[in-house]
Amino acid sequence: MKIHNTRGGRIFDAANYVFLSLIGIITLLPFVYVFAGSFATEAEITRRAFFVWPEQFTLGSYEYIFATPAFVRALVTTILVTAVGTLVQLAFTVTMAYPLAKKTLRGRNVILSLVVFAMVFSGGMIPTFLLVKDLGLLNSYWALILPAAINPFSLIIIKNFFQELPAELEESAKMDGATEIGILWRILLPLSKPVLATFALFYAVGIWNDFMSPLLYLSDNSKWTLQMYLRQVTAASDLLGTGNVDPNYVPPEQGIKFAVIVVATLPILIFYPFLQKHFAKGMLIGSVKG
Amino acid sequence: MIRRKLSLAAALVTATALTLTACSGGDAPAADLTSVSIMAPFLEAQPPGADGAVQKKLEELTGKQVKINWAPNASYEDKTNITLAGSDLPQVMVIQSKSPGFVKNAQAGAFWDLTDKLDKYPNLKTTFPDIQKNASVNGKVYGVFRGRSPMRSAVMFRQDWLDKLGLQPPKTVEDLYKVAKAFTEQDPDGNGQNDTYGITIPKWGALGTNSPYDLIEEWYGAGNRWTERDGKLVPSFETDEFLEADRFIKKMVDEKLINPDFATFDSTKWNEPFFNGKGGIIVDVDSRVSVLVNLFKQADPNNFQNKVGFVGNLEGPDGKLHAHPTDGYSGFLAVPKASVRTEAELDKVLDFLNTMNSKDVAILLNNGIEGVNFKAEDGKAATIKPETPEGKAVTTDIKSYAQLGMNVAGNEFYPVKQPSDYEQQVFDKRTEVMAEDLKSAVYNPAAPFVSETYVAKGAQLDNIVADARIRYLAGQIDEQGLKDAIKLWDTSGGNKVKEEINKLWQDSK
Amino acid sequence: MAAPVIDTLAGERAGKTPPAPRKGGRFSVHFAHYKWLYLLLLPGVVYFAVFRYGPMYGVSIAFKDYVPFLGVNGSPWVGFRNFQDFFANPDFPRLLGNTLILAFLNLGVAFPLTIIMALLLNEVRLSILKRTVQTLVYIPHFLSWTIVASLSFLLFALDIGPLFQFLNNTMGTSIDFLSDPAWFRPLIVLQEIWKNTGWGTIIFLAALATVDQDQYEAAIIDGAGRFRRVWHITLPAIRSTIIVMLILAIGQMLNTGFEQIYLMTNALNREVADVFDTYVYFVGITQGAYSYSTAVGLFKSLVGIVLIFGTNWLAKRFNQSGLF
Repeated sequence: MKIHNTRGGRIFDAANYVFLSLIGIITLLPFVYVFAGSFATEAEITRRAFFVWPEQFTLGSYEYIFATPAFVRALVTTILVTAVGTLVQLAFTVTMAYPLAKKTLRGRNVILSLVVFAMVFSGGMIPTFLLVKDLGLLNSYWALILPAAINPFSLIIIKNFFQELPAELEESAKMDGATEIGILWRILLPLSKPVLATFALFYAVGIWNDFMSPLLYLSDNSKWTLQMYLRQVTAASDLLGTGNVDPNYVPPEQGIKFAVIVVATLPILIFYPFLQKHFAKGMLIGSVKG
Repeated sequence: MIRRKLSLAAALVTATALTLTACSGGDAPAADLTSVSIMAPFLEAQPPGADGAVQKKLEELTGKQVKINWAPNASYEDKTNITLAGSDLPQVMVIQSKSPGFVKNAQAGAFWDLTDKLDKYPNLKTTFPDIQKNASVNGKVYGVFRGRSPMRSAVMFRQDWLDKLGLQPPKTVEDLYKVAKAFTEQDPDGNGQNDTYGITIPKWGALGTNSPYDLIEEWYGAGNRWTERDGKLVPSFETDEFLEADRFIKKMVDEKLINPDFATFDSTKWNEPFFNGKGGIIVDVDSRVSVLVNLFKQADPNNFQNKVGFVGNLEGPDGKLHAHPTDGYSGFLAVPKASVRTEAELDKVLDFLNTMNSKDVAILLNNGIEGVNFKAEDGKAATIKPETPEGKAVTTDIKSYAQLGMNVAGNEFYPVKQPSDYEQQVFDKRTEVMAEDLKSAVYNPAAPFVSETYVAKGAQLDNIVADARIRYLAGQIDEQGLKDAIKLWDTSGGNKVKEEINKLWQDSK
Repeated sequence: MAAPVIDTLAGERAGKTPPAPRKGGRFSVHFAHYKWLYLLLLPGVVYFAVFRYGPMYGVSIAFKDYVPFLGVNGSPWVGFRNFQDFFANPDFPRLLGNTLILAFLNLGVAFPLTIIMALLLNEVRLSILKRTVQTLVYIPHFLSWTIVASLSFLLFALDIGPLFQFLNNTMGTSIDFLSDPAWFRPLIVLQEIWKNTGWGTIIFLAALATVDQDQYEAAIIDGAGRFRRVWHITLPAIRSTIIVMLILAIGQMLNTGFEQIYLMTNALNREVADVFDTYVYFVGITQGAYSYSTAVGLFKSLVGIVLIFGTNWLAKRFNQSGLF
């Protein structure tokens, strides 16, 4: 639709576009540096403080990390666990959010209070570990998915969203004899695409970035996710100067660090653009009449 | 590094495992150990695979199945705690340092006390009893320590700058000042610009971590963490020499001979100013010399000699050499009681560790497999060129396997042959200088002692002084402020620490 | 929000559906009517019971001198000693002050900026620009704090950092941002904004996507300018989202996160830099004081829960929808 723009509006738009483009560049640049650095030699990285493309292009860092199948295996593993995990976590969350959106449901406030409580209090790393162990989940990928199955924060936001949807939608569906589950599946979910897309992203990123769970629960190296490797190359070198590192330790070359960062970050980065079209769809909701 | 007797540990562990699964009572003799489980940290980007050539050879040499659980170095302490809290402990655990967390667990009975047991095993009997004592908890030895170079302190400088200005390598701390001043003021790179300075110091400051500050303070005679004065042990920062040393450093800071951002400079970039011709001196470990040489070599393979020069420790103003040694060890291999239940099983595990520390295994863990990635030449391990994929795999893997090396009787493996003659010269000179300095090493008399108060709040207390030192150097506080901070250390609990350490010291005599 | 045509005759199809049970009345009736909902509720409730409340006994670690080897039950009980140590610690007022100041700065600066950024993005009509910028601004969220810190050191390095030089040349300032205590907090907030604002806009953008476009058209026809449209339509439409996010942010207030601050702390700015999280990490790691860190964590959780319920109640008082 064409919006007649006032002069003030046009100036605002122009300024906004420029401003946002600048922001875009500022946020992109560091990653460009990391990306460029992954193709540079150690000497060049040491010599040049910041660059967006190396003078001496080399694939050495990538050769190093892909020399063993470990990395590719971790990449595939991480993608699979993230994909399955996101679906599972989203399913758990949505099925719990929907009933809680009904204000007349008995026990709702009690359950919600318990959820909020759990958001703030936690038993701690070791008790959770012992629980996972007792459930026999050690060394299984489910240990990366189930303990974080529902994020209370996400639950609350999705519940709120369901609450905001007009009651008439459900009522007319009930008139036509739909069951609760049917309503959820056929009416509410399609309408909730932006919210679902958002939390699919959050959950996916949560699983993807999770470093502690694989560390604690996966003792089998062949099952590791990318974060293990990422943490290893970025965190280890920070210990220099704390006196807590084996003196024989030589930190990895910076190029390798950068290459690991790129491989471990790029896949999840491009997940969002794929989801973006679902956001656009949401814009049509308002035009639905009846 | 000493090849660890992992096979021995593995054997013992297996025996334990079998005994446990058989649920037999106490009297049945431990069955033979056929597999050993170990938890070890790895520091590289990737851990070794479970079926690498090194793994196979290790199992061959030890005659056991060796199950190594490689845990990433980041958060290794957490992993250790989790493992101790659980019920599936490995038979051997690498402990990275004598941390308070470890001490608490050990004193609660988590690990076997090996104090008089190790000498029975020929390869575990150490030739460095002092280091073993240092690694102990008040005399109790809770593991086989991992020996590391006892002397590493060095001063490295741009040799080409030194040559251009016609200066000699420094021998005393006063020389250090002169060279630093010359580097700052006399345009040593000859580019007509005032863009060079003397020493680069990165953000560092915790006490007793072999920082440049610790080194200079020791050279001044302040001692190594703790020192004996009037028949008592006092912390080094309570000596006059400490204040003198810091005055010296402050003088250099004020005259701009040291990088002004020493409080924030990122240590991962330490080589940069040296390499890029900004800061001409680094005070750190001798291995950095070879790293720097290598950087220059990468940049210009035809002209990299004589860019990097170095000396060992410097003489203090009293004319004496107080060389700063390392702790001599980096953690140890401990045997948890929960997985190794009886003395008989312990014997098998120690037997395994004994094999792990034999010459053959040491060579495997540190050099690799002869004929695959290296060949022995003149007592050195020369990398086989061109590198085959198998050779590369072995070379990568041993970086992690070396973590299992104990070397309690010195390094029995071959030193690595350097890629070029020049680098070999540098390497040999390093070895020589460090060995010579070792003769003048000043040790920390309080190293074996673990004071209760120190475990409870030692790090926080030390921070008071460590921070004050930096703030004094930066001019945020004056010398009185530094003295006040030291007093604060005393009154906040340091006095108790001193009491406890002295008592432990007296008791141990 | 959507406003579909309502079937106003629904209520007149008398007798077709029984009235929904109200809150009063017997539970079994209630349950029968809502049984599908309770069924849907079941997996989630089981999850919370098992994974969230199962390990809750770990909270008792705060009241013990926990040694991992001895286990939770085997470790000696010390009552409130850990808490006493914490509150009596001479550093406590400083830690509290630093934590609170950073918390308020983040709430007061970073939070509104997230909303503003979302609004700005929403105003962009050139969809390629909008989608591109949206994707770009959340990249920093994925870079670890280690990288952010490295970059900060690079940019602000004394004498040689590009940003330092820029500011020096344009405004003649010669500030060592990295060590000057006065600049620590602004630097932290700036980093936080750079890293997480883009990410934070995602929720608001999702909410904005559901705003009824018709209202805009109507407003334009009525002659409303850009700002009035935002003020009267956009903001009210996402008001409930803003409030929920605000309540949750307040509940998390004391969690400054330790990694970012740890990396930027040094001897010269520690006075203003030390917060609960870095202190606890330091103590926990260097002294193996598990119980101590659990006790502090418990304290923060208690404050958090009070804040959440408090602000939620406040929101309800002003007739807004709260968390529940």
